[in-house]
Amino acid sequence: MPPLYERFDPPAYLADFGRVPGLLNQWSEAMSSWFEMTLKAEEQTYRDHKVQPAVQYFDPVKSGPKGPTLPQAITWNAFPKELLRTYSRDQALQEADRLHPLLSYRPKWEVPDGTVISYNRLQYRPQNEYCEWHVFRDPLTSKIKKVAFVSEPPEYYFALFGGVCEKYTFKGDPKVVLDLYREHVSPDVELKDLISPYDLPDFDIHKGFYNPYNKWNTSRGIMHLCSPPNTLTAEIRLGGDASVVRKSADGRLLVEPDALISAAAYGGPDRNSDPTIGGTVNALARLGAMITLQNPVGLYMDHIDLAGWAAPDGGPVTDLVRIVRGQPGMIERLEVEVPPERGFSLSDVTIAGVPIRYGGQIAECITVKLTGVAVLTKETSVPIGPDARGIIDPADARSFLNRAVDLKNPLPLGTVEALVGQGEGAQAPTPPAAKTKATIPNTAAATVPVTKSLRRRIWPSV
Amino acid sequence: MAERVSPPFEPIEPVLELDDIQGAVVPGFLKQYQTLAGINCGDSFDQAKDLRRFVGIVSKLVTPSREALNDRRAFKALKLAGKRGEKPPVAFFGIGFSYTGLLKLTPSARSIPSEAFRLGLKERSSLLGDPVDSAEKGNPANWIVGGKSGDLDALVLIAGDTPECVAEGTSKIQAAIKKTNLTQSYIEVGSVRSDLPGHEHFGFDDGISQPGIRGRATSGSADFITDRHVDPKQTPEYWLFGYPGQTLIWPGEFVFGYPSSSPDPLRPGPTASITPDWTRNGSFLVFRRLRQDVSLFWQTMRQEAKRLSALDGFKTITEVELASKLVGRWPSGAPVNRTPEKDDTDLGKCSLANNYFRFDSDTLPLPLKKGKDEFLMATADPVGTTCPWAAHIRKVNTRDSGSDMGTQDSTYKRRLLRVGIPFGKPLADPYAKPEDDPEEGNRGLLFLSIQSSIEDQFEFLCSRWANDPTRPKNPGGHDFIIGQNGAPDEYRQRTCTLFGTEYKSEQLQTTAQWVIPTGGGYFLLPSLSALQNVLAASEDEGK
Repeated sequence: MPPLYERFDPPAYLADFGRVPGLLNQWSEAMSSWFEMTLKAEEQTYRDHKVQPAVQYFDPVKSGPKGPTLPQAITWNAFPKELLRTYSRDQALQEADRLHPLLSYRPKWEVPDGTVISYNRLQYRPQNEYCEWHVFRDPLTSKIKKVAFVSEPPEYYFALFGGVCEKYTFKGDPKVVLDLYREHVSPDVELKDLISPYDLPDFDIHKGFYNPYNKWNTSRGIMHLCSPPNTLTAEIRLGGDASVVRKSADGRLLVEPDALISAAAYGGPDRNSDPTIGGTVNALARLGAMITLQNPVGLYMDHIDLAGWAAPDGGPVTDLVRIVRGQPGMIERLEVEVPPERGFSLSDVTIAGVPIRYGGQIAECITVKLTGVAVLTKETSVPIGPDARGIIDPADARSFLNRAVDLKNPLPLGTVEALVGQGEGAQAPTPPAAKTKATIPNTAAATVPVTKSLRRRIWPSV
Repeated sequence: MAERVSPPFEPIEPVLELDDIQGAVVPGFLKQYQTLAGINCGDSFDQAKDLRRFVGIVSKLVTPSREALNDRRAFKALKLAGKRGEKPPVAFFGIGFSYTGLLKLTPSARSIPSEAFRLGLKERSSLLGDPVDSAEKGNPANWIVGGKSGDLDALVLIAGDTPECVAEGTSKIQAAIKKTNLTQSYIEVGSVRSDLPGHEHFGFDDGISQPGIRGRATSGSADFITDRHVDPKQTPEYWLFGYPGQTLIWPGEFVFGYPSSSPDPLRPGPTASITPDWTRNGSFLVFRRLRQDVSLFWQTMRQEAKRLSALDGFKTITEVELASKLVGRWPSGAPVNRTPEKDDTDLGKCSLANNYFRFDSDTLPLPLKKGKDEFLMATADPVGTTCPWAAHIRKVNTRDSGSDMGTQDSTYKRRLLRVGIPFGKPLADPYAKPEDDPEEGNRGLLFLSIQSSIEDQFEFLCSRWANDPTRPKNPGGHDFIIGQNGAPDEYRQRTCTLFGTEYKSEQLQTTAQWVIPTGGGYFLLPSLSALQNVLAASEDEGK
């Protein structure tokens, strides 16, 4: 079968790559290289479990499996669930609008020698649902003038600027990035502001190259996603990791999103996005689908729900919202602002009777999206055992505790394993089925320790 | 490294204070007849005293949870013994207060941490997708209760086994209203359908997916408020379900002061702080009066089924099949995931089977304590080819699937205890023209739900899942049964994706409004101790 697509287009078919000769092709090559890294990692996962690799994930530019094809949009809410689980809603709204030092994201002991100071000088937004925002307030009144939301991945800007991103070297043009910042953030942006004075290789930041944590993308504005987990490559990897059919240590087929994310340790279990992306992909894999991501691969805002919004003048609210980059259903930049002629501020607008006080209230109305594609080949791989386990604090079990813990590591003090024994009963007799479908073989291979073959850009958070 | 298998452990469920919680909250009255009485008093200090005196009288009538639970257990025991008709009829009472009503009783109402409760249903109705144009039916300006006349101060629930005992109970409330100089500003009689008990007016069995509340009635280790039907040897399922598929939810999702959900359904999550303290053992009640336009619903189904039947993949579809797919259950209550081709009334009636199915993966048989589930099991349907993602039961309860809000406890935290009842007489011919309807369309549901957060449960389900075409999952659409599209400039159009055979799919769209909000309110149902010690005055006070 021919490949599903001829090439990977830029997210939302944005036109900026057209300003740099050869960049469109480079982007497609880079995407393929990122798929390739993931496919190798998944093969290794099977080998680690002493199972013949049968990866149900593919690069759609390299291959096109035969079978009915179903696009599957996966949607989630833009407001960080991690904050809601940690704080009350009011506190979570405040925290979401704040910047946090990068060192609070990455434990100090994991930071390479000599880079602590650099980490401390950089800040990130704790908005880890692949949608981030910046609130522009009137300095005199503190009223909200504008809130800008983005879902553009940092990889896009690494590519435009030029330099290494996830092992692919782009030949970009920094001037194009500067123009975009000047157009969308501030005319005061200078090229030197965008260049990193530090080396933070874990984040693909190299002295003299693009710095996604620059002040115009953090404290003074926003151009693209910069919260460490919010990357396109993380999504590609998550899709691959989630395509692996899993069983629990006692042989039950793992079917629930919580159990899967705990067993495979992909992404953050306390998010809206990662468990539902993983759960959706895995459900399709269990059906016997080969899975990939739809071109143009991107993280998008799907829409903003304005039901319940009211302007103080009783007028319409649709003109408060503007798609600045992207298109309906594939929104990369959305700005919420009151046209000056209407004479009030965004803080005077209410949602369900409550005035807008924080950007997060608007984020609660935004749906974020990633679209996968399932090709129903009816061939499923052998379920493999868990590599990790979810943990909770039994004395205050409001959330999972960061990422799942690798099986070879002990549980952190005071924590217990979550979801023990849960999953689809493997011991139950085979049921009569309401309709025929592909069945999943229930043979098992011994679980062996896992080695992570690829660096993942999804780390413990806040 | 050897495989590591930890044994699952039994969750320790709290003993609920059933002598203090209102029976309307736990286990819910769920009687065949129920009357709602709305009460208002003036704003003066003396009139507030009248309301306090009224509370003093009614608090002695309010049915505690233990009495309601014992009644339900007695009913089940007699039913099992084939003596269903031998239980003497009883009437139960419950009372709730809106924010405006509560504020007349205590200034501490201001500290109740719920913006939705303080603002009230009318102010929040646009969030729920209700029309914002006052000329449109469904706009609060046209509601018959809780609209332009203002919020009710109090809502009294009188439920019973017979119309007579409910009427007698209502007389007691009306006598108290008269004695305390209050105004009865609303009264409505609800009853189960005489022709199809348990079915709502569109003709579908209702309330099957009710969650079970975790918790025990006494310190007895197995004295669970929600009966367990799975074989105790089958763990952890025995600890996860009441009836098979009836998810057990930690009580803090419904009653203030108890543990709520955690990421692990077998472990209690945190207990939310209680503000003010007298709200412990209380709960929020949402009342929404929903008129159902039965003939519009069925006429639309007939037209759409006819249109679809001309398309590849939908050749054999009927209006009943179409409507059942949009509900997620056949009229008997049988889930379409377990019987995709046609209704199965035996399955619909079988409480051991009619709620037991997964969406994302194959459903496997469960060993049960007593009885058998011998019906065909559901197969995995993650894309919604059998039961569309826009189906009502799938929109409001994602079961084993994740959602736009993440993992499974996000679903648990949205669940409601539904305790409502239909109103109005059934429409004999569901396709009748309006002029042939003796009731002039006045029938529907007195929707009543119990939850500990109006925002995170009732409002979330309506605004974020039922009304949003992309949430909780895709390929979705609006909830075609109860959904509203209140998005500006979309002219209330609802759409959804339906699959036929061979993965053929088709978009449905309509602007027809067959569920029309006609009133309601947000109320707090205080505990009996709060009624008696904080909110009530003696009958003599203020005379």
